[in-house]
Amino acid sequence: MARLTLDDVTKVYTDEGGGDIVAVEEISLDIDDGEFLVLVGPSGCGKSTTLRMMAGLETVTEGELRLEDRVLNGVSAQDRDIAMVFQSYALYPHKSVRGNMSFGLEESTGLPDDEIRQRVEETTDMLGISDLLDRKPGQLSGGQQQRVALGRAIVRDPEVFLMDEPLSNLDAKLRAEMRTELQRLQGELGVTTVYVTHDQTEAMTMGDRVAVLDDGELQQVGTPLDCYHRPNNLFVAGFIGEPSMNLFDGSLSGDTFRGDGFDYPLSGATRDQLGGASGLTLGIRPEDVTVGERRSGQRTFDAEVVVVEPQGNENAVHLRFVDGDEGTQFTATTTGQSRVEAGDRTTVSFPEDAIHLFDGETGDALKNRELPSNRAIDAFVSN
Amino acid sequence: MSQSSSTGNFDVASLVEDVNLRRVAQYALVVFFLGFFLVPLETGIMTAIKTNESVARSLPFAPPVGEGFTLGNIQFALEQLSGSFFNSLIMSIPATIGSVLFGSMAAYGLTMVNWRAQMGMLMLFVVGVFVPYQAVLVPLARFWNNIFPLARMIEPMVASIPFFQGYHAELVPLVITHIAYGIPICTILFRSYYQSLPNSLVEAGKIDGASITKIYRRIILPISKPMFGVVFIYQFTQIYNEFLFAFTLVTGSDAPAAPVTLVLPAIGASTSGINFGIRMSAAFLAAVPTLILYVAFAEQFAKGLRTEA
Repeated sequence: MARLTLDDVTKVYTDEGGGDIVAVEEISLDIDDGEFLVLVGPSGCGKSTTLRMMAGLETVTEGELRLEDRVLNGVSAQDRDIAMVFQSYALYPHKSVRGNMSFGLEESTGLPDDEIRQRVEETTDMLGISDLLDRKPGQLSGGQQQRVALGRAIVRDPEVFLMDEPLSNLDAKLRAEMRTELQRLQGELGVTTVYVTHDQTEAMTMGDRVAVLDDGELQQVGTPLDCYHRPNNLFVAGFIGEPSMNLFDGSLSGDTFRGDGFDYPLSGATRDQLGGASGLTLGIRPEDVTVGERRSGQRTFDAEVVVVEPQGNENAVHLRFVDGDEGTQFTATTTGQSRVEAGDRTTVSFPEDAIHLFDGETGDALKNRELPSNRAIDAFVSN
Repeated sequence: MSQSSSTGNFDVASLVEDVNLRRVAQYALVVFFLGFFLVPLETGIMTAIKTNESVARSLPFAPPVGEGFTLGNIQFALEQLSGSFFNSLIMSIPATIGSVLFGSMAAYGLTMVNWRAQMGMLMLFVVGVFVPYQAVLVPLARFWNNIFPLARMIEPMVASIPFFQGYHAELVPLVITHIAYGIPICTILFRSYYQSLPNSLVEAGKIDGASITKIYRRIILPISKPMFGVVFIYQFTQIYNEFLFAFTLVTGSDAPAAPVTLVLPAIGASTSGINFGIRMSAAFLAAVPTLILYVAFAEQFAKGLRTEA
């Protein structure tokens, strides 16, 4: 159990023509002892490369990687005392479950055979796979293989767990179960964990903190709620959250945001936060869009319902502005009981305290939503 | 066809429809080639068990009748070959194991471990496959006879091993030559197999704390069992049947260390003519070890594939 620190870590690949490809650029992260950090981003964003550098499977081009006070840069994967769960599980096909799990202990520790045996059995008990000890990986289901891969990491009692999309090969139901179970296990074991995923649901639900990566660069590090309510920039705003935030490109004209099909007057307080930016993007979460209700003092717009996706507890309603372009659509979530159908004309309103505004050029957040009590979130965030 | 005719709903029309010229030609071709390949084999076996007189009088492929039948040829050939059988086996078994094992190790190092100049090294191996035998014969003979006469050096040592004679030392340079010459092709065969294995296996091994050699010994080697079967069969057949190196290094059929391939051409030939019965018997006997290997390893190979899946 230890603190893992990344200090301006950069990875540059040289392609065949001799050109440089920057896969990861100056990432700095401080992962606390016992913390569960989720690295999330779209495919090709460099999250796996970052993880593989932590594991020692890729060299670090620049920057420093530390475990407590020990610099890991030149240390081989064998000597790092780090365990990793692979997306493909990478179980040794010729070894039984017992053989798979004891291999690491045999190679990395000098433990006597009966103690290895005991530790393997304790771990399989914990994971509920003790009846599979003598099976080969080929005889196990996907979920069972996943548990064995997890067990292989846990049994070694390493300083750090690295997980590379470990749940992506499971079906949806099992994935949800394993998500909870992984969190429980990590909490019990208290081992520092870095978890890579492209799935923002996993990022939101599992991590103590989330690090959002895009194009090799770190976009934001914070608690899931922090990233959700106070995104640093347009990318984080669009990536975190399902269904994703509605984003409207537009411009500032006087005190009014002019988007495609709607004008949104901004209050003086909001206007002051924007500085000199003229190109703007307005963002609002689907659950903040109110449909059909006409409340006094709020900006309402005429909209037409395009598609309704009922999910039982709530509906995802796809809308477009009556005055807007056909292609410009946005989403609102409404309660499952509300009756709206495709083709309906309705009104929508965007409460001003729920809107986000981003700089149209840099994508930086200029104004994030206000929360009922910012202090409550702050308290939550700092925990 | 005969089966379907015995059942009640026999349809003559469809039978006629089936018999078109194309099918007839296809079957004719199959039968022709079956005969083409099997008749010489059958002729050989029949000749091997015929007396000299019977060989001269009957058709080559006709089975022996009455007193024409004999096992004498086989017995005689076996006596003549027994020494060279031993030579062949103690030469080809270590040479096969050596080249297959080293080939697998080299392929692992060239495929699953990252290091500089890997590609250049691989090119050397590829070039090694294409070095013609003829070009190396003279240097090879000079090397083992004049520059580094290993056989003479270790002769007393070999003589002291039970069942071995001093002259068996002559086979040691031959074994080393075969290993060296076999490594490139074995490496390339194994390389294609290792390229198909997921890299994450090696990575998982590294993270589990195993060294590069341990990963080979405990993970890659056991996984490549089916490939070992294939390469072993191939390499053993190559080395066992090889003539040119043996001829160069052991020289001549009358040398006591001569392997089967050197002795075979001389058997059954004398000033009075060629004894075909003995020749054929010897030829079949010489082929037996490779046949046994094929049968034995084919099963192992199939088993290996099944456990993989």
